[in-house]
Parts: sequence; C-alpha cells; structure tokens
Amino acid sequence: MQTVAKLIDTTLCIGCKACEVACQQWNDQEYTLGVFQNTYQTMPDLAPNFWNLIKFNEAEINGAQSWLMAKYQCMHCADAGCIKACPSPGAIVQLGNGIVDFNRDNCIGCGYCITGCPFDVPRLSPKTKKVYKCSLCSDRVAVGLEPACIKTCPTSCLTFGSRTDLKFLAEKRAEELKADGFTQAGVYDGPGVGGTNVIYVLKHADQPETYGLPKDPHIPWTVSLWKGPLKWLGNAVFLGGILTAVLHFVKFGPKEEHHRG
Amino acid sequence: MDSRLERFTVPERVTHWLVAICYVYAGLSGLALWSRAMWWLAPVMGGGENLRGWHPIAGVIFALLLAMQFRRWAAQMKLDADDRKWLAMSGRYAMHDEHGVPESGRFNAGQKMLFWLQSTSAIVLFATGAVLWFPEVMPRGLRLISILVHPLAAVASMGGIIVHIYMTTVVVQGALHAMTRGYVTEGWAKSHHAKWFRQVTRQ
Ligand code: HEM
Ligand code: SF4
Ligand code: SF4
Repeated sequence: MQTVAKLIDTTLCIGCKACEVACQQWNDQEYTLGVFQNTYQTMPDLAPNFWNLIKFNEAEINGAQSWLMAKYQCMHCADAGCIKACPSPGAIVQLGNGIVDFNRDNCIGCGYCITGCPFDVPRLSPKTKKVYKCSLCSDRVAVGLEPACIKTCPTSCLTFGSRTDLKFLAEKRAEELKADGFTQAGVYDGPGVGGTNVIYVLKHADQPETYGLPKDPHIPWTVSLWKGPLKWLGNAVFLGGILTAVLHFVKFGPKEEHHRG
Repeated sequence: MDSRLERFTVPERVTHWLVAICYVYAGLSGLALWSRAMWWLAPVMGGGENLRGWHPIAGVIFALLLAMQFRRWAAQMKLDADDRKWLAMSGRYAMHDEHGVPESGRFNAGQKMLFWLQSTSAIVLFATGAVLWFPEVMPRGLRLISILVHPLAAVASMGGIIVHIYMTTVVVQGALHAMTRGYVTEGWAKSHHAKWFRQVTRQ
C-alpha cells in the first residue's frame, strides 16, 4: 500500500476556515462557541472536539508585517511519538497507508501520547477520558475518498495523494517561490520524526516557529530514554533481582538462628 | 508460654499491611503500563480504564500511609557507627557468615537502608505521579521529566521491595510472623537483633 499524504501550501491559504467546518461536520463534532481574541482566529486551540485549526499568525519578517496562516492538525508522523509513548496495545495504530489513527475502544486515557507527541496534538476529553485528534479521515480514505478538509478547500492550498508525488510537488512549488524572490522558501515535513505525512510549503521555511510549527521536531529525548534504556535497566533490576534471590536461596538457603556469647 | 517478645505493635502492623496492599496495587498496575509484555496484568487490575483511574488513588493512599510510617520510625532508622560497619560487611551477612558483623538494634542496617530508599522514592513517585495524573493541565516540561523519573523511582523502589520480600519471607524465618502476629521468640531476637534483645530484656 502506498503512503498517503496531505500537502499544505501555506502560500495559497486564504484563511476561510472551510476546512475547519468540513472537519467538524464530517466527524460529527459537538459545536463550541468561538472566542474573540482580537484576531481572525475563531477557536483558540485544538480541542477534543476540534481537530483542525487555522492559526492566524501575525509576524514581522524583515521589517514587513506578514500574515502567516497555517493549518494545524496531527502530522501523521512516520516515527510517531504518540505510538512510542502509548502503553495500551491497539489504542493507536499506524495504518499501512501511513495514517496514525486512535482507536478509542483501547484507549485508557493516560495522556502519555500528549507528552510523546512533538507537535502537541492529542487532546484528552474530560468527559469521555479518551484522547482525540485528526484521523486524516481514515474512514473516507479507506473507501477511496479524500479527507473532508481537502475536499472542501476552495483554493489549491490542500492536496491529497501519494506521499512521493506530493513531496515532489512541494519541492517544485518551493523552487517557484524562490524564483519569485522568497529565497527562504522550502518544504517542512519533519525529517526528525522519519517524515510527516502532512507536508507544508512555507515561504519562510527557515523560521517555522513563526507559523506555530516546531523548529526541528523529534520525539522528546526523555520519552526515548524512558522507552529505551530505562526499560532495559528496569527489566534488568526486576529479572536480575528475582534471579539473584533464587540463586541465593539455592546456594545459601535461609538463615539459621545462632547464638553468640 | 515460652519467652515471647513483642516486636511490632498493632498500629505498626496495620500500617505496614495497608501500605503493602496499596503498594502491590500501585506496583502491579504500574507494571501493566510499564511494558506491553506486562499488559496481561491490566485486566487483572480492573481493566485499562479503571487502572488508569485507580493507580494514582492507590498511590496517594500509599504515600499518606507511608508518611505515617515515616513519622513513627524515622528516629529509629538513623544509621550509627555499627550500622555503617554492618553495611560494609553486608556481603558476609548475606552469606550467613556473621563473624565480625556488628550486632543489630531493632532494625538492622539493611532494613534501615530499605526504609530510606522507600521514603525517598515515595516522595519522588508522589511528586511525579501528581504531574502524570493531570496531563491536560500540567506544563509540558514537567510532564517530560515526570514520564522518565516516575518509572525510574518505581524501578528503584521495586528493586528494594524484591530484596525486602525475599529476606522477610524466605531468608529470615520468623520475620513474616513478627509482622503478622506481632511477636518473636527470645532466640530469634538474640540471633537477629541482639542489641535490641538486650534493650528490651534489660528493664
Ligand atoms: C505516590 C503516588 C502515585 C501517584 C500519584 C502515581 C501516579 C501515576 C500516574 C498518573 C501514572 C500514569 C498512568 C496512570 O494514570 O495510571 C503512573 C504510572 C506508573 N506508576 Fe505511579 N503513582 C504513584 C505511586 C506509584 C507507586 C508506589 C508505584 C510502584 C512502585 C508506581 C509505579 C508506576 C509505574 C511503573 C507506572 C508506569 C510507568 C510507565 O508507563 O513506564 N507509582 N503513576
Ligand atoms: S503529530 Fe503527534 S499525534 Fe500526530 S502522529 Fe505525530 S506524534 Fe502522533
Ligand atoms: S491516552 Fe489513550 S491513546 Fe494516548 S497514550 Fe494513553 S492509552 Fe494511548
């Protein structure tokens, strides 16, 4: 099965939020009232019932006021920190097409995935005690449809397809932008997490933070240490401890009462 | 009635076993999360979702009870010069060759070390566990530390508990009885805690 991906060409986003609405509708989400924050952003952040957010980033770049709109959702990482952290088998699955999907039946609500995710994406619902995030419309993709956000996007900002094709398109678009004078234009697809299946084209790829994207995303080192060396150390202590006790018993046995002086 | 000595009072024994029950639940439910090879423990501990809710509660009760135990025993757990010598010679003690190993008071130096290990790790488990409890409100930096340090403290604690259980149920016959029924024989006391024996028989 080929790896699927979503291409977000931020230079073509007009901030219409149609993708937000499409996501809400397809996933049958409960309506939450927006808040006014003195910007065009309606919702403050991702939420258990809100998986796709357009961030209206305002930044000053090279003395010029810039409006950097960026779609924000699960990145569907190849090396997914959420999966690495999750203790419950089957709660997070990586499908053959690269989609990282939560299976709420197996989720125990520990929130480890929130800590493991380099993009701060999963949200724990206080009501259901389960985590939620974008599924890249795995249900639609499974029957040959494109994700709801992509279906609805009125510009060609969002594209869905094979990852190889989209990576190629993204590189080409970045070259175009460079030729147009955006010398720092480039592709953002998280090589530090083995590549994300959400690919961005950024005008200012040298400073992804201004788009609200982490500079060099990778699984946090404490999470790697916890799931790697600490597991070996712990297992050595547990098994070594029990083995030592057995060997000690065989060789020395229990203490006899003895009387001195 | 052959010469019996009271070793652990009723409050001491009750606290110890309540601590033990909470610890076993917290430990086994924690182990289920620790490794997928241990996930079979999850249904035994009440199922994944319940376990997630109950583990921290058992942990907090454990920590409170341990605090009581700490207040009761801390003064008796200070290491003296003999204890330090005992620790240096603990290899001999382990091999049942106790010539030259200093006599012990109410608690031997090994037990005292276990006490300090459990008290320290409980504080760490409590602090980091409180952070892991509420991932949606705790700052990310604290969570990243706690996710590593909580199981690290659990490993240290459980390493100590493995030794503790082995020593008290297998190696030192009568120790378990002291914690269940509360008393020991004079011979036992003389043999394992000679200084304590002299103290309690002197009056
Ligand atoms: C003192 C109070 C304690 C609190 C508040 C606490 C809290 C937590 C929380 C919130 C988690 C995350 C999963 C869950 O919610 O079930 C956790 C995991 C864990 N806890 Fe505790 N806990 C405490 C004590 C203990 C004790 C006494 C032990 C055993 C020695 C222990 C061992 C573990 C282990 C092994 C894990 C899993 C770590 C991993 O996934 O690698 N905890 N604890
Ligand atoms: S962005 Fe976060 S939640 Fe999405 S796949 Fe990557 S680690 Fe998992
Ligand atoms: S909250 Fe659910 S999906 Fe996230 S790590 Fe815990 S069990 Fe896995």
